[in-house]
Amino acid sequence: MTRRQLVQFLTAAVAPRILAARQARTDAPGKRLVLVTIGGIRRQESFSKPGLVNVPHLFDELLPQSIFYPYTANEGVTSHFNTISSILTGVWQHVDDWGSQKPTNPTLFHYLKSQHNAGVNDTWVVTSNKQLTANISPGVNVVLSKQLLVEAVERIIMGQSTRKQLEREQLLSEMKSVLETDYERIGWGAPSASSFQDPEVKKTFVAALTNFIHGPDAPASGDDLTFIVAKEVLLRLAPAMLMVNFSDVEVAHSGAYSLHLGGIRRSDALCHKLWEFIRTNPALKDNTTLVIMNEFGRDPDGSSTNGFFNHRTNTESCRMAWSMVLGAAVRKPEVVERVIRQVDMAPSIGTWMGLECDRSVGELLPEIAI
Amino acid sequence: MPPPSYADLVPRLPRTFGPTVNDQLRRWDLLFPAEQRQLRAQLDYLASLSPSELKALFAPMAGLERRMDLPNWKPGTVGMSIEETGVLARSPLYPQWRTEVETVFTHIEETLEKSARPNRPARLILCVLPSGLPVNDREIWPGLAGQGAWVALSKPFRESENALVSSLARRTVSAGLEELESTWVFECGRDLSAVVESTNAVEISWGALEAIRRTFLDRLNAIQRDLRSADQTTADLRRLDISPSLDPRLSKVPRLREFIRSILLSGNGSLVFNNSFVQWSASEALRRVQPQVLVARFGIRPKIKPFSSLVMFEDQNRSNPTPDQDDPAGSLIDGEMLSQYVHFTARDLPAYREHVVTLFACGDLSRVLVIGSRSATDHFSGSPSAITTEQLSSLSLSWLAGT
Repeated sequence: MTRRQLVQFLTAAVAPRILAARQARTDAPGKRLVLVTIGGIRRQESFSKPGLVNVPHLFDELLPQSIFYPYTANEGVTSHFNTISSILTGVWQHVDDWGSQKPTNPTLFHYLKSQHNAGVNDTWVVTSNKQLTANISPGVNVVLSKQLLVEAVERIIMGQSTRKQLEREQLLSEMKSVLETDYERIGWGAPSASSFQDPEVKKTFVAALTNFIHGPDAPASGDDLTFIVAKEVLLRLAPAMLMVNFSDVEVAHSGAYSLHLGGIRRSDALCHKLWEFIRTNPALKDNTTLVIMNEFGRDPDGSSTNGFFNHRTNTESCRMAWSMVLGAAVRKPEVVERVIRQVDMAPSIGTWMGLECDRSVGELLPEIAI
Repeated sequence: MPPPSYADLVPRLPRTFGPTVNDQLRRWDLLFPAEQRQLRAQLDYLASLSPSELKALFAPMAGLERRMDLPNWKPGTVGMSIEETGVLARSPLYPQWRTEVETVFTHIEETLEKSARPNRPARLILCVLPSGLPVNDREIWPGLAGQGAWVALSKPFRESENALVSSLARRTVSAGLEELESTWVFECGRDLSAVVESTNAVEISWGALEAIRRTFLDRLNAIQRDLRSADQTTADLRRLDISPSLDPRLSKVPRLREFIRSILLSGNGSLVFNNSFVQWSASEALRRVQPQVLVARFGIRPKIKPFSSLVMFEDQNRSNPTPDQDDPAGSLIDGEMLSQYVHFTARDLPAYREHVVTLFACGDLSRVLVIGSRSATDHFSGSPSAITTEQLSSLSLSWLAGT
């Protein structure tokens, strides 16, 4: 399938619903950003004819309401920390991918804080990927939700806890305990030492962990927890800017293809839930833009780097991602055929929020409202 | 065979090549014959070039390296650390560097192919998915089927498997190959170990490596959040005496012992999932050993229990006493993809490219998918009726004998 054929296929498939969505839109009074990044997903497992089965919500329900860029190039280092910091800064980053270095340019969070005098609870990162440490943007609240789960499980398994079994209730107690005493050691970041002692912030986490453990669908994955924490942050703290990262798809590094596909389907379902939450919440629905981006694809089948396991080849399969913009910044839903770059998103969304991302090298995307 | 000396050549190679070449030469005795032949041929070719020819070949790469912020490697530096590999991989010029590496090696390989025209024996790969998978729900290997031919069997493959593998392992190795290059078997369980026990076949089982996998996982899970800790742990595991945990047939041969260590250290799920281990070790054996026959026998992995494995990449039974449950549907998806990856690896290697036939089989299916050159598929699909176990073995052996 060529690019043109894919765009024609996508456009034709969603055209009637795009029209309906255009008619239903209202002008938004305020500005909030929720940016979701998902690990490596190839086109063949997502926005292609055989891949659509893995992204039914993104394709059937979200795409018709969105500005969809099916060709979003990652021209930087196709690793997690560098890609996410490139998206946030609008400049290709080349720093240590284990998160021990900061991005070398200001992020959207920086711009928001410096230009809009944002408060401590206005900037949040909730992430499944443990490489996204507090270094992603100093001064921002960084919650490594999956790492909290990992720590709690490890404590129980390694016998460091009085709790001995990996049962839901014991896990909840252990996660609360890690949260109370150890959040900095596991890489969380806070604007000040007292940030996570704020009663409202504490209440947010406890509510999220309780929902995770006792949720109706028995959620159990790192991305499930990340979603629940992000939702609670949105609900209780209403930040101006929230970045969420899902990484269950990265089980691909261990070669379980079926679990990788499961991770894609989970991301698809969680993005849909997140959008539904935003769309139906009176405080969020008119002023929030949701941006969903996969970080990159993965290596092609038959590559010397073991195909879908990894994401380091200089190939279209690895470098060509996609991005979807929903909500207040959408002037009109459409599928955009031309190739854009991931670094274009920061200045475009920044401009919509009234920020001047003066260090970004990205170009403004004219489809996004100003 | 003593390691050759290329002390004059290495300083004239691109800076990024030196540490890797030195590492290969230092471990010369642990390289397999095919690796030794290939490395020697490549370096002999480079050493035979005049200074101006060598400079011209590497000029684009040298130009790139001058613009890259590389670690301070000396001509005698041996190996790259994880940290140094990271520095290289995040360079803005890394994509161009990789492209240039591929260009140079393609040139070298094509030149060697033209000049040497090696006489390559026929080869065979057998990829087997286990019984108990839901294979009747849909077509299996649909992407490959158009490139080959299905051959009907007189009974389900599981009833032919042992006899076929036994006949392959007991054949006389082709002239020009060492015994170690004859037959390699990778499997999740130990089903085939008895079948090949009294042969020269190398059999490596995921299940039999449980103790050593546990040791490696414990050490790797203790890595702190920095590259130095990762480098230190890797160095420790490279020195660890793993012989006591290995079957004597593997531990007494240093090359085999170190092959297993390198598989377990090189990621790709080999410590975590049985089928990933089979795929990755089979692909590495194809690249490094180039056996004439390779058997990759996949298995059924357990379902992932809540919380334990997805967050830990760990032995889930340590954290959850609930008995494992098989995941046949997931295992079929995994095995189907990973068995193709074994074939893809062979397809790209000159030793196999036009000389190999790959048989894809599943325990419960009464047919095998034959992929290879036209002559290979014709060789196996000539019979108008379903073939017996004996006929399948006979066809495989005659393919390997070139008759």
